[in-house]
Amino acid sequence: MTASLIAAAFMLLPVQDTTEVLGPATIVGDSRHQELMHLTLGSVEVGRNYIENHFTGTLMQSLSTIPGVQARSIGSGQSQPVIRGLGFNRVAVTMDGIKHEGQQWGDDHGLEIDQFSIDRVEVVKGPGALMYGSDAIGGVVGLYTNYLPTAPVQGRVNLYGRSGNLLVGTSARLEGRSGPFFWRMHLTAQDYADYKVPADHIEYYSYEIPLKGGTLRNTAGKELDGALTLGYVGKTFRNDLKLSHTYAKSGFFANAHGLEVRLSDIDYDASRRDIDLPWQSVRHIRVHDHAHWHGEGYVVDADLAWQYNHREEESEPVSHGYMPAPEDSHERIFRKHTLTGKVGAKVNLGARNILQGGVDAEFQHNRRGGWGFIIPDFETVEGGVFLIDKHVFSDAFNVNAGVRYDHAFTAIHSYRDWFVAPGADGGAPEYRERSAEARRHFDSFTWSAGVAWSTGRWVLKGNIGKSFRVPIVKELGADGVNYHIFRYEKGNPDLAPEESYQMDLGIHWTGEKLSVSADPFFNWFPSYIYLNPRSTYFEGLQMYEYTQCRVLRTGFELQVTWKIIPCLALEAKGDYLFARQMSGEKKGYGLPFAPPWRASASLTYSFLTDGYVTADVRVAGAQRDIVPPEKSTDGWYTLNVQAGKSFPLGNTVLKAGLQVENLLNRRYYDHTSYYRLIGVPEPGISASLMLGLEF
Amino acid sequence: MKKCKFFVLLCVLSGACSSPSKDITAPEILPQGDYASPVNCQAFERGTYLPFAYAFSDDVELGSYNLEIHSNFDHHTHSTEAGECGQEPAKKPVNAWIFNQSYEIPAGSRVYEASRNIPIPLDVDPGEYHFMIRVTDASGWQEIKSVSIRIL
Repeated sequence: MTASLIAAAFMLLPVQDTTEVLGPATIVGDSRHQELMHLTLGSVEVGRNYIENHFTGTLMQSLSTIPGVQARSIGSGQSQPVIRGLGFNRVAVTMDGIKHEGQQWGDDHGLEIDQFSIDRVEVVKGPGALMYGSDAIGGVVGLYTNYLPTAPVQGRVNLYGRSGNLLVGTSARLEGRSGPFFWRMHLTAQDYADYKVPADHIEYYSYEIPLKGGTLRNTAGKELDGALTLGYVGKTFRNDLKLSHTYAKSGFFANAHGLEVRLSDIDYDASRRDIDLPWQSVRHIRVHDHAHWHGEGYVVDADLAWQYNHREEESEPVSHGYMPAPEDSHERIFRKHTLTGKVGAKVNLGARNILQGGVDAEFQHNRRGGWGFIIPDFETVEGGVFLIDKHVFSDAFNVNAGVRYDHAFTAIHSYRDWFVAPGADGGAPEYRERSAEARRHFDSFTWSAGVAWSTGRWVLKGNIGKSFRVPIVKELGADGVNYHIFRYEKGNPDLAPEESYQMDLGIHWTGEKLSVSADPFFNWFPSYIYLNPRSTYFEGLQMYEYTQCRVLRTGFELQVTWKIIPCLALEAKGDYLFARQMSGEKKGYGLPFAPPWRASASLTYSFLTDGYVTADVRVAGAQRDIVPPEKSTDGWYTLNVQAGKSFPLGNTVLKAGLQVENLLNRRYYDHTSYYRLIGVPEPGISASLMLGLEF
Repeated sequence: MKKCKFFVLLCVLSGACSSPSKDITAPEILPQGDYASPVNCQAFERGTYLPFAYAFSDDVELGSYNLEIHSNFDHHTHSTEAGECGQEPAKKPVNAWIFNQSYEIPAGSRVYEASRNIPIPLDVDPGEYHFMIRVTDASGWQEIKSVSIRIL
């Protein structure tokens, strides 16, 4: 059975949108052609089917099978998007066109999004600053929930589970349309236990941490999400009002929260499912109204959104340095409001020219609490205006060019410790100031130009542009202990905006049975913001300071798809990235969490219209291009299988999907994973099952 | 192999492979010859000195070091080295000894023998403490060693 599964290897699901009906292969080829011609930057679009078929816990893990896209994970419940090695605030995650705002200063913050509400994902592998402003310097993960129901009442219930972390979850979706009105409801609940790794202990510095039963203690978590959409769709006007609420709580691996491995009175090994201190909880509330008009030769879109992010990090109150033991476990509390407004229009100027323009503005208000300081209170106001012109010479040749101007204002508040410490240079005891009041204005002018040309079976694309990123408050005003890694992080209020020049090429050849894509890029940062590990100490902690340096990056993604016979397809893909700091104290070093080269090959056997069995092998190279405090990581490979099929059940359809990862239960380390820093290997063998009932 | 050559080519084209060899190893914390102080479970009296003596070495250049002493009255140790000594019952600190000092290492040093006498105040709580030794090299790599000591 296993042998036949492997023999029938797979993974070659065409990247398709659930809202589109796929026709015969040739039509796919044409639509692929149009899709390729649409954007001059490399982009990949996937639909709900793809996300569900690749379900492995988090949305980003599901998307990490796309070349050039990685998931930087912390534990089994959180992961962040990384595009070509850039993550955190260098990748903008948008939800229906509005930038998703969490507390994006921490390495261990996941996406506060219900992955089951997503209908379509568009990943732009390159600077998207022109459309989305700051943060899109490395790429954009565009999430869309704009599927339009067709029946008066329709829906779907998913049940899913995963063996590695004993995940159980359910997601229900109910929606309908009557005349011009439509509605949708979503509910997702899941609960997972501490996850298993193929190791009985880990080593960190001189500490040896035993893992009972190979489980990473206190990595359990839970999630509860709900959403409601009310909409109207007329002949020329559409309006979507969306409300959503996500809540997630998860433990931090108890032995990783700070370097000091504590023997607390908590019995972490009592249960795999409980969430003990230290833990984090995040609540994200969002209200978004999207209005859309279209007419002869024009389209207008307007958005207004409010997002509220409430994050808490709780840990055992213990004294550290001059800080006495606090009275409660509220280490950090953050409440952030984000208000976003946006208006954009596309106008056809003549038959071949499309002019697109827009204005957007965003206001953020963040307040902190708790006894641990990492970032001060702040407000930011950002606004941008852009204009893009696209000239279509023919179906086979188009060019575009655009400009954008942004202004950002950041106001940082002063913060003083709540406990006294000896003054500097033996002065009188004082409440030390951690953050000084600061006001900064940033201006950025960015531009981009691209060309797409198709001839015969070839599509060739090129794009060049400048993008930028406004320094986040952590980079400007951090001044404190990062207990997650136990280091002292110091912001630099004089940082300039990060700028980047990037050239992207796309070379695509689409044949009857074979298609090949290559996406090389070349990127230059004159002012990359880097958290530089210094050789000095502050209060017993190694000092890390934000600095700016020149960085050169280059790399490529490759993808080959071969439909061997109608029922058998082979897909091979890979990516490679090279990065160098070209100035500053770490000149000659790469960048942190640098992904090594990756490659994968998968064989998919399709049967009975929608059944499939896929087997794949994923390989990654060693990463020796490291910066402190990283460790070199050896190369690895895993074997994985997936299978899925739909079964009609009366008036409904039952969809089943099974995925087994790391079939050989190999012990390996992912250099891009957050827990790699403390020597935690990746999960061992784990099976995920997804059952969906569509009605 | 072809792939590797291509990567090398890409790297050369990007003009970035000529960067000087960089330091990718952390410094080491060693005894001075066969002597080191403090060592696990060693006891020191209040009002006297705690003699610190360890050697640091790095393949390129040392950075700085930090010595830190904090109470272990709650028995939070789990290090392979800093085991538990004495097993006194857990207690709440009244006036626990807090010591936290950073020291520079002369620029250019690859090996440095650090020795200093740390005065132990008379009025601090006796009991179990952790003595943390941290050292960096000039590139920012860090090594840490923890030692369990007792203050009498």
